[in-house]
Amino acid sequence: MKEVVMVPEKELKENLIRMHDRRIALLFILPAVVLFLVMAIYPFIYMIYTSFTNLNLSMSGTGQFIGLSNYFEIFHDPLAMGSITFSTMVLLIAVPIEMAIGVLFGLLIRGLKGERIFRLLFLISMMIPGIVFGISAQMIFNYLFGAANYFLSFFGVPEIAWFGHAATAQFVILFLDIIQWTPFIFLITYAGLLSVPQDLIDAARVDGASRWQLFINVELPTLKSFIYIALIIRLIDALKIFGKIYMTTWGGPGMATSSWSFYIYKVGVSYGWDIGYASALAIILLIVSAILVNLLIKVLNLGETLELKREG
Amino acid sequence: MRKYTILMVVSVLVGLFAMMTMASVSLSLITSPDNGPSLQWLAQEFEKQNPDIRINVSIVSWETLYPRLLADLRAKSGVYDIFTWDVMTAGSVHSGCLDLTKFFKEHSNIIPKNYDRNDLLPLAEKLGEWNGDLIGLPYYNNTMLFYYRKDLFNNPKYQKEFYDMFGRPLRVPTTWAEAVDVAKFFTKKYNSNSPTRFGIALMFPTTHTMFYMFPLFFGPYRRSPEGIREFGSVNITYGDYFTSDGKPAFANKYGLMALEDMKALMPYAPDPLGSDYGQTIEYFSQGMTAMCPQWTNPYMQFKSSPALQPYSEKIGIAPMPGRSVAGNWALGISKYIPLEKQIAAAKFILFATSKWATLHVLEKFGIAPIRESILDNPEAQKVIPWVKALPTIYQTETFRPRIPQEPQLESITDVYFSEMLAGKIPMTIESLKKLAQKWEKVLSSK
Repeated sequence: MKEVVMVPEKELKENLIRMHDRRIALLFILPAVVLFLVMAIYPFIYMIYTSFTNLNLSMSGTGQFIGLSNYFEIFHDPLAMGSITFSTMVLLIAVPIEMAIGVLFGLLIRGLKGERIFRLLFLISMMIPGIVFGISAQMIFNYLFGAANYFLSFFGVPEIAWFGHAATAQFVILFLDIIQWTPFIFLITYAGLLSVPQDLIDAARVDGASRWQLFINVELPTLKSFIYIALIIRLIDALKIFGKIYMTTWGGPGMATSSWSFYIYKVGVSYGWDIGYASALAIILLIVSAILVNLLIKVLNLGETLELKREG
Repeated sequence: MRKYTILMVVSVLVGLFAMMTMASVSLSLITSPDNGPSLQWLAQEFEKQNPDIRINVSIVSWETLYPRLLADLRAKSGVYDIFTWDVMTAGSVHSGCLDLTKFFKEHSNIIPKNYDRNDLLPLAEKLGEWNGDLIGLPYYNNTMLFYYRKDLFNNPKYQKEFYDMFGRPLRVPTTWAEAVDVAKFFTKKYNSNSPTRFGIALMFPTTHTMFYMFPLFFGPYRRSPEGIREFGSVNITYGDYFTSDGKPAFANKYGLMALEDMKALMPYAPDPLGSDYGQTIEYFSQGMTAMCPQWTNPYMQFKSSPALQPYSEKIGIAPMPGRSVAGNWALGISKYIPLEKQIAAAKFILFATSKWATLHVLEKFGIAPIRESILDNPEAQKVIPWVKALPTIYQTETFRPRIPQEPQLESITDVYFSEMLAGKIPMTIESLKKLAQKWEKVLSSK
């Protein structure tokens, strides 16, 4: 015969109250969960499903299952391949420059007279939405009336058709990205620098460390994790570059400034309305982002840096 | 007591408001920027005459209008009751549009007695049809015009200089080959005496603009006796890009010549591959170029530009040196809205396409008329100088395809043409054939 364990009345009461509180808490978060399921999870699952269909909004009778055809099509699509080129340029050119300048600014600004004002000024461009950036850029880089050509004319530089040539159009988009996102890196680096213990810096100075030694041996070890996080966030974000392209070059001339995400928009929304193919492109973007981030985490040994090692 | 009085007054007011709201029909209209201001004005005028109907006009960019509209029609959600649709997208939007012929037959009582359907220009009306259904009433009979600086072309000094340079009189070009010489003459880099910086404002960006600019140059070849002999007559469903039996008609020497004509003009235009609608309007408005192919309603901007005053002496309008291209818009009604809303929407589109409305939107907003009587109207011809030229232009204009695959074809083509003009892809018949293969793939896969 099993022994009956008697729970004290007080404990039972407490358990009941705890359960009740839990239910109420669940009830409170339910709307957010439902919203998340409806607005994020359902569309995501639907996107995975449509990537295996030929769904096209402009055609009737579409939406049939076609297996992996959309995925195979990507490798035979020169426009998709062209988009990879520009997205890679953003990753390999814009992001490293943003990282370097952002960190440098963070180091230079700290302790400077008027630090607060500089900090505020740096952050302005980050607060401007990509679309507004694009509209301003369209005016600044206008061939005949733009400020860029006007400014360059003082140095005898002839007018440049910024949006009319592949190289200059690419330069403009990368330049805009750098201007917009360097402050983000600066902000994170700056926050990291503020977290370096002052007594460590003082101790290093007393030991006669030069500015460079101070940076390498004291500041950088603390900053590392901040820089890595900034890098990962920028990496994911750089793959999504859209607003500036939409407002300035529309991916042109040709495919010169068409990023992967802009191409998805063109195929799925703007001209194409080919939802099936656009979904497959979006899934590939997601997979590429995930692989890149994971690779980066491994290469940089981020788990250890951020002390994210699994327990046990 | 006072409390109850206040409560009663509030209840009566709330009741009245509720009754007013219930009695009125609220319609949502989505449109593009070129039609927007005129439709906003018409909506206000309509509401004055029909206080029980409210119309909310949303103006969105061309690039936003179609995805939104198509998503709404495809999802059968009926968010937009009335919409303007570019007639070249007839094949894409038709499934969600109300068949107006059938609707007007069933609700003939809503057609005003003075609404003259026979006065609508036959071609404009035809472009609102798909598979025999009338899916939109014509609203804006848009077409491309050739704007030029009348004062410069009429100036004896420039006429003499041009004659000395080219051995023929200076005149408004009637072919693109002639346009090259004139554009060169008015470009400072090639003629230091030129009164303008550039000869011509061209827009060849990688957007839908490229797709309507090409027919201006390809049209003369496609519609020539040789072109007709080789490719058959043009049918308005497939347009000038296609042969009469629905095959791409541009992958040959004619398509190549059209691109070469475009390229020949590029040195005399400010940043042609990077300029679109807005930039070219600005360049001509500011007196930077001597010529500018543009749609009809930018005339209103040119007319008000300080650099082009007095406008009657400075702005000249002529038919396109090659051929114009149709850019018509129609007003459609969603199939997926309640009957009450459909009736109210039908009343509005009948109002917006009436003789009175057509004349007023022409005069106020430069909306090209859809009615024969307005084209013949001396008052209209006096206010807007291009009205007189329109009948001839309409007879010779070219068309883009109206088939459902048009958006995909356009998307591929814009990139190809842009890269060919930029020299990234060789400008050869082979390149055009590769593009045609892609077209065939799109056409056959669906």
